Amino acid sequence: MTDLQIVLNEWPRLASGFGNTVLLFGTSAVGAFLLGALMVGPLRSQNKVIRVALHSFVDGMRMLPFLIFVYLLYYGLPTFGVKLDAWTAGLLGLIIYHCAYVAEILRGAWDQLPAGQTESAQAHGYHGHRLMRRIILPQLFLNSAPVFGNQLIYILKDTSFLMIITVQDLTYAASSLQSMYFVPLEPFLIAMSLYWVISLSIEGLVRAVQRTAKVRGLGRA
Amino acid sequence: MTAGGFQMLLNGAWTTIWISLIAIVCGVPIGFGFSLIRVKRVPVLSQIVALYVSLGRATPLVTLALFLFVTLPVFGIDIDKYTAGVVALTLNTASFNTEVWRSAYLAFPQSQIEAARAMGMKQRLYFWRIMLPQMWYSALPSLVNEMTLLIKASPAIAVIGVVDLTRVTNRIAAQTYEPLPPILIAGAMYIVIISVLVRLQRRLEKRAERYAT
Amino acid sequence: MPEQIPVLVVDGISKSFDGLEVVSNVSLKIHSGETISILGPSGSGKSTLLRCINWLEKPDRGDVYLANQRVGRKEDGQLMSDAELASIRVQMGMVFQNFNLWPHFTVLQNVIECPVHVLGLSKDDAVFRAEQLLEKVGLKVKRDAYPYSLSGGQKQRVAIARALAMSPTVLLFDEPTSALDPELVGEVLAVMRDLAAEGMTMVVVTHEMSFARDVCEEVVFMDEGQVVERSKPERFFSNPQTDRAKRFLARYE
Repeated sequence: MTDLQIVLNEWPRLASGFGNTVLLFGTSAVGAFLLGALMVGPLRSQNKVIRVALHSFVDGMRMLPFLIFVYLLYYGLPTFGVKLDAWTAGLLGLIIYHCAYVAEILRGAWDQLPAGQTESAQAHGYHGHRLMRRIILPQLFLNSAPVFGNQLIYILKDTSFLMIITVQDLTYAASSLQSMYFVPLEPFLIAMSLYWVISLSIEGLVRAVQRTAKVRGLGRA
Repeated sequence: MTAGGFQMLLNGAWTTIWISLIAIVCGVPIGFGFSLIRVKRVPVLSQIVALYVSLGRATPLVTLALFLFVTLPVFGIDIDKYTAGVVALTLNTASFNTEVWRSAYLAFPQSQIEAARAMGMKQRLYFWRIMLPQMWYSALPSLVNEMTLLIKASPAIAVIGVVDLTRVTNRIAAQTYEPLPPILIAGAMYIVIISVLVRLQRRLEKRAERYAT
Repeated sequence: MPEQIPVLVVDGISKSFDGLEVVSNVSLKIHSGETISILGPSGSGKSTLLRCINWLEKPDRGDVYLANQRVGRKEDGQLMSDAELASIRVQMGMVFQNFNLWPHFTVLQNVIECPVHVLGLSKDDAVFRAEQLLEKVGLKVKRDAYPYSLSGGQKQRVAIARALAMSPTVLLFDEPTSALDPELVGEVLAVMRDLAAEGMTMVVVTHEMSFARDVCEEVVFMDEGQVVERSKPERFFSNPQTDRAKRFLARYE
């Protein structure tokens, strides 16, 4: 049996790993974006305590490696009696870590938004989460599509770190195939191609969003 | 946390730093060279570089490091884990740097090039004398940003056995049965290292703004 | 007076962008020592015409000759390479609306850059000449300053010195004062007047009517890509022949 045939025989293993990666990526991406969108308002709050606390959180996440944060959740929390399994620790890690980045991107984009946008909406009676949802957030996302696309790709790549705490993602699958059957090349080539395909899809999504933005005169050059 | 634990942490930090440094020092000029190939549209090579950049930016470091460490020996290249780690980090960062340099080139003000051409300067001359000195300033903040990303992704090399600042916490915990302290301290050390770069990046951004007339 | 050989000949230049003809079959002859101004409303194609003269824009049709050398095309009609174009551009100076100084060089470095690296002058010779030119435009004291610290008028004067440092046969000016605050226009025009009086051959695209009237030997009026009227300034300003010229001048009353 050639190496390739061995790998093709074991396709369920790869498919399962790929599925886990996509599941982790999709869920954490949605979670991170939701949480980040919820956070950006308070991040710009007048209340100094809230603002400083959130800023510290965001700055902290942006200066920590992702894996160390996951280590904290997976290996560190048991000290306080909170025992998370690898999957939960990984998912929580992805969501909490990346929501800080999303919040920061949104904050930067909001600062660049002409003040008139917020003011005119407020003059018409918009406030709170309706203001955010209908007026502010859509513009922020449309304006900064490429930056968000990049963040999505970072989330995707960070899922692979979870294999170190034994989450059975795509890289884990490729690695175990390689070590079980001594097929060094094919599993990794297939895994890298699959990551590439997801990444290209994200870039395609970004371009589509940019087209939507352009029609409305939004988006930066 | 014992004194021995601290020593191990310092060793781990040193491993992270020297491996990252080599990757950074190699990755910036390699990225520059590749960006030249792309902007000059060298036939065939330009397409290969574009492919490499697209793949390089999409491939997780964990996957790349494993791939190099496990696959290269099959082709007769005996590679130790440190070399594999350095090469993986370099390949990864170079692909991002290629795009940083290419953006700096494409964003360069056409007006200055026109003045140079109107005075009879040829392309090679104005590229080295007019464009490059200023491209450094506009590219530097993004290059430093990429360096912070590299350090944040460097724990990937733990998967091939390199005892870096992250993996060393496992080792310490195995001895002391207290996983939390080394993780916290390692986290603090990462924050210190990265905040130095972040501060540098902010200063460079302010300087780049001044030059962008 | 015997017929002088023109130093710059523009012959039937046409240029289109996106299917719109911006310059239509324009021909000019400029003799040594002459200053001519090109006037016209926005969109008349005057800047494009100027940029076709030194081939910063590639003309679709027509030819340019500088002192009997064909610009842009070789003897056999083939397009010139960038390097060949460069060696002709060395003889033509250009001053841009937005100055286009190089911000990472000091004023002095801006002026000596091309004499040293293109003409091959020694640094000492180039510095000596540069200081003379900076003195001439009144900015010798700013030799070590960086462009960002200069006013618009000062930047433009440096740009003129930079162009002069190449000892060009002809100087092209592309709306040199249009980007300046009104109070800074005078200092630049003063330098240009002096240059004209010293016998420099100049082609000036401008909106400054006083300059065109007082300094130029000939006024070329363009509208919608064509040369509509061409005459001595006294006649053009006091007695324009065409309706379009009359309407244009009426706006500046």
